[in-house]
Amino acid sequence: MSITLDHVNYSYSVGSAYEKHALKDVNLTIKDGEFIGLIGHTGSGKSTLIQHLNGLMKATSGTIYYNGKDIYDNDFNMRELRNKVGLVFQYPEHQLFETTVIKDVSFGPKNQGLSQLEVDLHSYEALKQVGIEEDLIDCSPFELSGGQKRRVAIAGVLAMRPEVLILDEPTAGLDPAGRDEILDQISKLHKERNITVILVSHSMEDVAKYVDRIIVMNKGEVVYSDVPKKVFANYKVLETIGLAAPQVTYVMNGLREQGIMVDTNATTIHEAKEEILKWARREIIEG
Amino acid sequence: MIRDITIGQYYPRDSFIHKLDPRTKIIGTFIYIISLFFFRKFIPYLVVFGFLGLVIKTSEVPLKHILKGLKSIMFLLIFAVVFNIFLTPGDILWKWGFLKVTRQGLETAGFMAIRLVLLIMGSSLMTFTTTPNHLTDGLEKIMNPLKKIKVPVHEISMMMSIALRFIPILLEETDKIMKAQMARGADFESGNLIKKAKSLVPLLVPLFVSAFRRANDLAMAMEARCYHGGEGRTKMKPLQYHKQDGIAYVILFGYLAVLVIVKLISPF
Repeated sequence: MSITLDHVNYSYSVGSAYEKHALKDVNLTIKDGEFIGLIGHTGSGKSTLIQHLNGLMKATSGTIYYNGKDIYDNDFNMRELRNKVGLVFQYPEHQLFETTVIKDVSFGPKNQGLSQLEVDLHSYEALKQVGIEEDLIDCSPFELSGGQKRRVAIAGVLAMRPEVLILDEPTAGLDPAGRDEILDQISKLHKERNITVILVSHSMEDVAKYVDRIIVMNKGEVVYSDVPKKVFANYKVLETIGLAAPQVTYVMNGLREQGIMVDTNATTIHEAKEEILKWARREIIEG
Repeated sequence: MIRDITIGQYYPRDSFIHKLDPRTKIIGTFIYIISLFFFRKFIPYLVVFGFLGLVIKTSEVPLKHILKGLKSIMFLLIFAVVFNIFLTPGDILWKWGFLKVTRQGLETAGFMAIRLVLLIMGSSLMTFTTTPNHLTDGLEKIMNPLKKIKVPVHEISMMMSIALRFIPILLEETDKIMKAQMARGADFESGNLIKKAKSLVPLLVPLFVSAFRRANDLAMAMEARCYHGGEGRTKMKPLQYHKQDGIAYVILFGYLAVLVIVKLISPF
């Protein structure tokens, strides 16, 4: 289930005083089952980009192919695309509207035209996946805590069983525990159901642990698209566009500058520890 | 999408008109609107057209942009013109069944159309060239004498500026929620009237919730900054008349004088 973007451009409010070129010649391929981190500073065009992937926004020029089919073809079924590519917006809890949690989560599957049995099945399963306890499902979604609301809203998209799941800053405004919980659940989903996941964030730290590939955007352009290690190696460039590599990258580079020969490619705390221990062993044996 | 709605949205430029004091523009627009209604002859309207054209030219707002704003009143305009043409009693020019066109009808419809178009163009020019904040500042200052008769002038203008400020925010929010629900398979377009109305529930409920949440946050933020109404409140940039405002008033009265003279001497 690959998505290919071919020379995609997008401008807001064409012809008015507020015209803004938000996407500039974007070329990307997103392969089946990939876990991608889409990173960029505020206003870098990442939210605009993801709205193109399920056809909510139409490129000013360029083409997008879903499984090889041009989504701007007249006979392309846009509804079908939106069923396959699930998009969780920023602060998704702001879109809750139903009287009970379960009714809200069922909104998506119901729109897919499933039978009542399937709707219930998918909705309960999605709520379980995001870790919402059964005693909450008949509550009003407005009575829940912020973190719970967010998870219910994510379940609302999961219940549609998308093949590609896009999340726009799913951890914005959550505490560290809530953040880890949501990211762990997404990672688990990715492994268990083998769906493609695109995680939008402005924090390298958050995504480094989970993703296979990082796409860095700046001012509407794709700057890097590579495995995390290779992207973080350019940490000096990242700083110039208002981003930062994970703390670990800085620690490892700092150590190296002090003459401690460790591999600067370590991206997680665990890898860094192994690297430093490896160096220590070498030093002890040699010394 | 929704964010492309442009009626009355500020159009940033650095022209003579943009730099005028908002009071000048408000009073000027007011006088201009009154001037549209105090005669029933066609020739004086040429003066009005000329004056408006001059102002548009100096404002540097493209004419195309202003005409776009007229689209929204097209329906009202056609409605008014058609009804006036067919339903005004008077000297019959043409008759077919119960439909009749009268000379007075044509005249009224013509005046109506010209006045409406000029009215919308003139007043939208004011909002195109003045930021909402300036506009309410100007209104507050103009209404200031009313404080003597216990009119809560400051509160009214604060309410207005908040309302104006919230329009783009709520439009953006609507756009966002609409997209979020469309991503969940919502359909806002197809179906009959009842189905369409029902499909708005997933849009309106979150919109109301968010409007209340924002209002609450704003009230809290204002209180946290010790806002307690207009009593003793000073301004960082108090409004002040400059030389250009004097020039603008002179031009405005020049326009009025020419209009009155043309009105008196023109035969129709």
